[in-house]
Amino acid sequence: MSRSTSGGFSPGHILAGVLGLLCVGFAPLTMAADATRVPEGPSIGPDVAAVEISLAFRPKPDPQRVGYYGFGETATPAMIAGWDIDVRPDGRGLPPGSGSVADGEGLYEEKCAACHGTFGEGEGRWPMIAGGFDTLTESRPEKTVGSYWPYASTLWDYVHRTMPFYEPQSLADDEVYAIVAYVLYLNDLVEEDFVLTRANLATIEMPNREGFFVDPRPDVRNVACMEDCKDPKKIRITGDSTELGVTPVEHFKGEAETAGATAAVVDPNPGQKVYQQACATCHKGGLAGAPIVGDQTQWRSRMAQGMDVLADHAINGYQGSVGYMPPKGGQVQLTDDEVTAAVRYMIENSSD
Amino acid sequence: MSKGRPEPADILSLVAEKANSLPLPERRAFLLRGLALAGAAAAGPVLAAVDPDDALPPNIPPWTRSLGRGVVTVPYGVPSEFEANVIRRTVPWLTANNISSISFTPLPELKGIITPNGLVFERYHAGVPDIDPDQHRLMIHGMVERPLVLTMNDLMRFPSVSVIRFIECPANGGMEWRGAQMEALQFTHGMLSCCEWTGVPLSVLLEEVGLKKGAAWILAEGADGAAMTRSIPLEKALDDTLVVYAQNGEALRPEQGYPVRLLNPGWEGNTSVKWLRRLEIGDQPWYQREETSKYTDLMPDGRARKFSFTQETNSVITFPCPEKPLTQRGRYEIEGLAWSGRGRIRSVDISLDGGVNWRRAELKGLVLPKALTRFSFMWDWDGSPALLQSRAIDETGYVQPTLTQLRAVRGVESIYHKNSIHTWRLAETGEVTNVQID
Repeated sequence: MSRSTSGGFSPGHILAGVLGLLCVGFAPLTMAADATRVPEGPSIGPDVAAVEISLAFRPKPDPQRVGYYGFGETATPAMIAGWDIDVRPDGRGLPPGSGSVADGEGLYEEKCAACHGTFGEGEGRWPMIAGGFDTLTESRPEKTVGSYWPYASTLWDYVHRTMPFYEPQSLADDEVYAIVAYVLYLNDLVEEDFVLTRANLATIEMPNREGFFVDPRPDVRNVACMEDCKDPKKIRITGDSTELGVTPVEHFKGEAETAGATAAVVDPNPGQKVYQQACATCHKGGLAGAPIVGDQTQWRSRMAQGMDVLADHAINGYQGSVGYMPPKGGQVQLTDDEVTAAVRYMIENSSD
Repeated sequence: MSKGRPEPADILSLVAEKANSLPLPERRAFLLRGLALAGAAAAGPVLAAVDPDDALPPNIPPWTRSLGRGVVTVPYGVPSEFEANVIRRTVPWLTANNISSISFTPLPELKGIITPNGLVFERYHAGVPDIDPDQHRLMIHGMVERPLVLTMNDLMRFPSVSVIRFIECPANGGMEWRGAQMEALQFTHGMLSCCEWTGVPLSVLLEEVGLKKGAAWILAEGADGAAMTRSIPLEKALDDTLVVYAQNGEALRPEQGYPVRLLNPGWEGNTSVKWLRRLEIGDQPWYQREETSKYTDLMPDGRARKFSFTQETNSVITFPCPEKPLTQRGRYEIEGLAWSGRGRIRSVDISLDGGVNWRRAELKGLVLPKALTRFSFMWDWDGSPALLQSRAIDETGYVQPTLTQLRAVRGVESIYHKNSIHTWRLAETGEVTNVQID
């Protein structure tokens, strides 16, 4: 199949030049080639002679400028250093620094445990990150850092790039080393006195390192049978979604329901839903200095300021002595009333 | 002012007079709409409480006997408020919260092959950032001769291309590996959208920076709070990857990566990194979180497939479906969508009896590579129960498999890439439910 029928834009002569230049670069690409190969079957051309109108015209490059339009500015080493944060399995990209399991324990408790659990077991639907060894062949496998992740570098990279969830890229490099050390410790991969460093991270052997292989699809081959393809008597319904009843259906079954007398059901606690959706991430576990719902001591002084002040802080944001409340907790789609209702819910569940 | 031409004030009094002649329930609506002419912008649509029968023949409906909204009353147009049901929806329990979550395109309501921008499914790992395009930069560096930083204006100076391509989350249908549990088409297949995308071929940008010998992979990184990353093989980047800044004729929506995103046609949606800020060229993959912990396919032997990029051939009947049941016996056009990450759809077959017999459907409209393709099948329903299925075949000859075939190879724990033939059970009542059959 030619490139043009496989769906891409016609590469034209710009690309031809690049391809020629890059022949040597293709040697390590066997994985990619496997991942995108198409089945070898009977030669079948498209029987629909559709012309992709949107591809009919492509501007021709100026021959004087092929490969060099000259737009943009040079990325300086300083610019690149600020943005180039990725870390590879061989350790390339790691900054200088270190962190111990002991240092990581406190940081983990403060910044990670509310979602990932004290032992990495995961709270609610937040990811479980420790344990799960020998579950990958079982029903409901537990894919954790220890049981599944092939490289420790991925953990460092990910924690550094986007954790903690509510405050990404806020951790110092040494804090990342320490938290990663502690998560490895939670997975029984390092000892209690371990210190993770730039030098030793790439040497950590993850248990599932050899557990991955390049996508071999297409892996099944159906045939386009047209008649008497199976015995109709043997057709059996093995699953029916309506038996579970776990997905929203009101939007297409609701008319019949609301046409009756039950239309005017009032949510008795509108703040609870907002709290669970928008506030619990921090206010359930006390992240970023957030007062924990249910902790009367933490809430008493705040409630003394009055509902109006608390609602104002929640809606417009507030820098306190122990933490920062972003406007609407960062969920700007919420209305002021919804935020106020959530504040009321939190107060009601945090007072005597 | 020539004689006989009314003064503006006269028009207003005419409007008022006209309003007085209307039936009382229509009067307020008429005034609100009509007087918007006088500059009352954004009066908003007002639904008059009219007895529905008054609009039907032989009566003349009120909207025929009154004025509508003037121009730019709604400067950026929105759908009729009677279409309020056509929205993205989520299944709340799928994720821990709505910041790192997914929503579904309302496939039952869509026509043709283009997904309107406001209905394109959403997938965020750290919510939608609001990025000022003047403050946004795309950095291209690594194994290149000329590392570059591009502004949006720089990017838009390169010659652009426009293509119609689908984007599908590889977890589309992934809730159904163990059994049928989503009760609506929107949730069984709605992590799927198709737009016309406009941008610059990545190959052009790579030529601009000049690749060094040994370059083989590209890391794409987002500017959102997840700084989402994926490793892309250079072969794909040189084939049909685009750096896009527009969808369906306008700037990308914030939800879709404004001001700029990657587009890897036919590949798992996650690789089309949104809010693109950085492309690094290297000689090997980075093994980021989204290509190890996630977006790998666990097999029954405990090993997992990596770099499972391609969205294989898939199809689904969009009418009838649970949201759109049949209401009476008679002639119907069964419709649906088919798509393949490997190229064009060649044909689609329909079964009414759970896969015993199949008949060829018609392909409607544009049949484009790596794009949604609409199919059609005329059918006289006699009121009997039926098991409706569609089976797509793409231009490589690949035939969409059965769920039984997929499970035999992959088990039920691989989450991603479930592209099996889908079954709707049509009951005698016309009701449609999502079922799985042997």
